[in-house]
Amino acid sequence: MRELLLECQGWLAYLERPSVLIQLLLAIIPVAVSRRARQRRLIKHWPAEAYPFLGIILLTLAVLGLASVGHSFGLTLLLGLFWLGWFSLHLLHRLLLIWLPEEPTHQLESRLLRPAFLVAASIILVSEVDSIQDLAVAPLGELFGISINAGKLFEALVVIYLVLVGCGPPAAGLAWIAQRALGLRDGSRKAMELILRYTVVGIGLVIVAVQLGLNTNALIAVAGGLSVGLGFGIKEVFSNFVSGLWLLFEGSVRPGEVLLLDGDPCEVRRLGLRATLLWRDRDNAELLVPNQTFFTEATTTFTASDRMRRSQVSVGAAYHHNPSDVIALLENTALSVSRVLPHPAPKALLVNYGDSAINYALRFWIANPLDNSSISSEVSQAIWHAFKQQDIEIPFPQQVEYSMVWPPEKHQSNNGRT
Amino acid sequence: MTPLKGSRFRPTRQHALVLGLLTGLSLTGCSSWNLPNVLYLSLSTNSDQTIDATLLQDYREKLSILNGGYRQIHPSTYFQFSLYPEERIIQAMQRRTGAGLGPDVLFVNGETAKRLVAQRLADPFPINAALAQQLNPEDLQRMRITNGALAGLPILIQTQVACFNRKHLSQAPTTLQALLSASAKGHRIGLSIELTSLFWSAGSMGAVDAVQQLESGQTVKPDAKNSLTNWLSWLQNANHQQRVTFYANQSAALNEFRAGHLDWIPCSSVSLPSLRKTLGESLGVASLPSGPGGMASPINRLRVFALGRSSSQAGRERALAFSRFAVNPLVQHNLTVGAQTVLPANRFVKVPTQSSGTLKALSASKSSGQRSAAVSDLLHQDDPRIISAQSIISSLVFGEVSPNKAANDLIHLFQKER
Repeated sequence: MRELLLECQGWLAYLERPSVLIQLLLAIIPVAVSRRARQRRLIKHWPAEAYPFLGIILLTLAVLGLASVGHSFGLTLLLGLFWLGWFSLHLLHRLLLIWLPEEPTHQLESRLLRPAFLVAASIILVSEVDSIQDLAVAPLGELFGISINAGKLFEALVVIYLVLVGCGPPAAGLAWIAQRALGLRDGSRKAMELILRYTVVGIGLVIVAVQLGLNTNALIAVAGGLSVGLGFGIKEVFSNFVSGLWLLFEGSVRPGEVLLLDGDPCEVRRLGLRATLLWRDRDNAELLVPNQTFFTEATTTFTASDRMRRSQVSVGAAYHHNPSDVIALLENTALSVSRVLPHPAPKALLVNYGDSAINYALRFWIANPLDNSSISSEVSQAIWHAFKQQDIEIPFPQQVEYSMVWPPEKHQSNNGRT
Repeated sequence: MTPLKGSRFRPTRQHALVLGLLTGLSLTGCSSWNLPNVLYLSLSTNSDQTIDATLLQDYREKLSILNGGYRQIHPSTYFQFSLYPEERIIQAMQRRTGAGLGPDVLFVNGETAKRLVAQRLADPFPINAALAQQLNPEDLQRMRITNGALAGLPILIQTQVACFNRKHLSQAPTTLQALLSASAKGHRIGLSIELTSLFWSAGSMGAVDAVQQLESGQTVKPDAKNSLTNWLSWLQNANHQQRVTFYANQSAALNEFRAGHLDWIPCSSVSLPSLRKTLGESLGVASLPSGPGGMASPINRLRVFALGRSSSQAGRERALAFSRFAVNPLVQHNLTVGAQTVLPANRFVKVPTQSSGTLKALSASKSSGQRSAAVSDLLHQDDPRIISAQSIISSLVFGEVSPNKAANDLIHLFQKER
C-alpha cells in the first residue's frame, strides 16, 4: 500500500516539466474562459448551453497551436476530451429524459454514467503517467492469507458496485414477468423484486470472494469475525437486516401494504436493508422505521388478506326518535356515499344511552384503507344532511350556570329567586 | 474580506480554486524546490514474462542494486519505474511522449531502442569517449543507427541458456543427439515454436547463415537452403519424439517446467530468478546443445538505456548521471554477481565463471550468440515476418508441411516481404 501511495505521490514530479505545465494551463484556460463567459453572458443571444462550445473551440485552437510548433499536446487534448465527455453527459441527460422519467434518468446518470465516466477517465489519465499493468499487480497486503493487489481490489469494488447499482432493473423486470405469469399482486411483485436483488447481491459477493481467491476457510473466518462483530457493534444492523428478510418472506410488511402506525394508516413504500420507508397520507410524511420494530412488536395491517377496511362514524340522536328509524336512515345514508362499498352492507348499531342523546355507530366498508379519513368525513356530512331532511335532532349537552351563596343555608333555588 | 461596494468582482470558490491552481503551477514552474527529484524509468519485459506481483518484486530487487547505489550518491533522487510488455512499449511511449509524460529513461532491448529513436520517441544517447571506451565496440556498433548516433547505452546482456531439473536429469545434454537420446530415455523435453526461442537450434544445425541470407534479402544459395531444410527437418523429427513437446509460446513451456512437468527447456536468463524460487537447488543451468552445424546460436538481448524525449532539463541530467552510474565497473560487477542472470556490458568487468556454473553457462551463451546477433538485430518481436514465420514453423512441426516446403515458404516469405 505504501509503495502504491509513493507511486502516486511521484506523479507530482511531472509538474517539473514545463511542457506539462503549458499543456495544463492551455487545458484549464479555455474551460475557465467559457465558464466566465457563460456567467457574464459575454456573447449576446447565446443560450447558456452553447457556451461550452466556446471552450471546445478554444481548446481546439490550443491543441492546434501546440501541434503547429511541434510541442506535446496529448495532455491538453486528453483533458479537453474529458471535459467534452462530461459536457456530453449533460446533453445525454436531456436525450434520456425523452424516453425515461426524471427519477430513473437521474439514478442512471448519478449512479452509473457519471461514476463510470470518472473511473474510465482516471484510468486513462493514470495510463498516461504510469503502467496500469504493473500498478494493478502492486501488492496491497494480505487478507486471510490471500495476497490482495490493486487490480484485484479495483475489480472487486467495481463488480460489487455494479451488482449493487445494476441489479435493480433486471430484478424488477423478472418480478414483472413473474407477476404477469403467475398473477401476483403488486405487493408480491415488489417483494419478489427485493428478494431477487438480495440474491443477486449475495451471489455477486460470493463471486467477488472467489475471484479474490478467498477459500472456504477464509470465508468461515469472515463469518467468525462477523459473529463477533454482530455480538458487539453491528447487532442492530444485522437484526434489522434479518428482520427485513423475514418480513419479506412472511409477506406481512411488503411495499404497498397499509399499516396502522400511531393511529395513522401508512403505506409501505420500500423495505430497505435497515429500515422500512412508510408514507403517511395525513401530512405526506415519510417515516423510516427500523425493520425490527415490525418484527418484535404487534402491528395492525389492513392489507394482510384483503385491502378492505371497516370504518366507523359515531353520531347521537335525540331520545324522542325511534331507534329503528334512525338505524335504517343511517344505513341508507352510508349506501348513498359513492366510496362506501355496498357489500358487505353498512351496519348501524345503537351503542348506548348517553346523557343527552342515544349514541349510534355506523360501520361501513371501504376499498382503500388510506381513504378512511376522507370517506368518514363524507359519511358524517351525509348523515347531517339526512338527519336534517328527516327532522332528526342531533342533541348536544346543555349546561345551566348559577351562582352559589355562602353559607349554603342562605342559598335559594332558581325558582325561589324568580 | 468583503468586496467593495459597487465592485463587479465577487470572489467565489471557483475563483479561489483557479487562482490557487495558477499560483501553484507558476510557482512550480519557476522553481522546483518543492517537488521531489524523480527519475521516471520504464522497462520492457520479455515475451516469456508475465507482469505479476512476483515479476514486479523481482524487478524491484534487481533495480535496487542500481537505485540503492545511485541514491547513496544522490540521496534526493527517487525512482519510479513502470513495466510494459516488450510488444506494447512502443505504443505506450507514443501515447505518453505525445502528452509530455514519457519516462526519463527506458530500459529496453537494443532493437527496441533503435525503433524508439527512429520513431522520435527517444533521443540518441550522447556518449563521450571515456564512456565508449568502457563498452564493447561490437555492442556499440549494434546500437548505432543510420546517422551514426547511439540509440541506447548498453547496460547488460541477457542470454538464452538451457534450464534443466537436476532431480530428473543429472547432466544437461551437450549435443542435439544427446538431447533426443535423453528424451528417448524418458526425460521430458520442452520447446517453444516462438522463433526467437527456437533459433538457437539453427546454429546447432548450421542454418544461421541461411537465415541471415533470408533476412538480408540475398538469394539463398543451394547449400544454405540445404542447411535450412536440415534444421527444419530436425525440428519436425524432434516433435516426432514421444517426450519432446512443442508449446505455443515460451511462457507456457516455462510454466510446465516450473510445475515439474518438464526436465529440460531452453530459457532466457531473466527467467532464472523465478525458476530458482520455485525449483531451488534442483535448477540446473547449462549451455544450449551444439550439433553437427556447430555451436548453438542463442538470441541474446542487449539491454540498453534509451533517453526519453519528455524530460525536463533537470530530468535529462539525472538520466545521464544515472546511465553513467549504471556502467560503472563496480555496479556492473554487483549486477552480474548479485543476480547471476545477466552479463555486464562493461568490458572491463571480469565475470567469475570459475566460481559459478550459471555465469559460465551465460558467458558461453554470450560467445556463441555472437553469430545470431545480426539476426536478432534485424528481427523484433512484433515484426509481421516473425508471425508468418512462426505459422510456417508451427505447420512444419505438427507435420502439416514437409521441411522442404517449409524452407521454400520461408524463402518466399522473406523475399516477398522485402
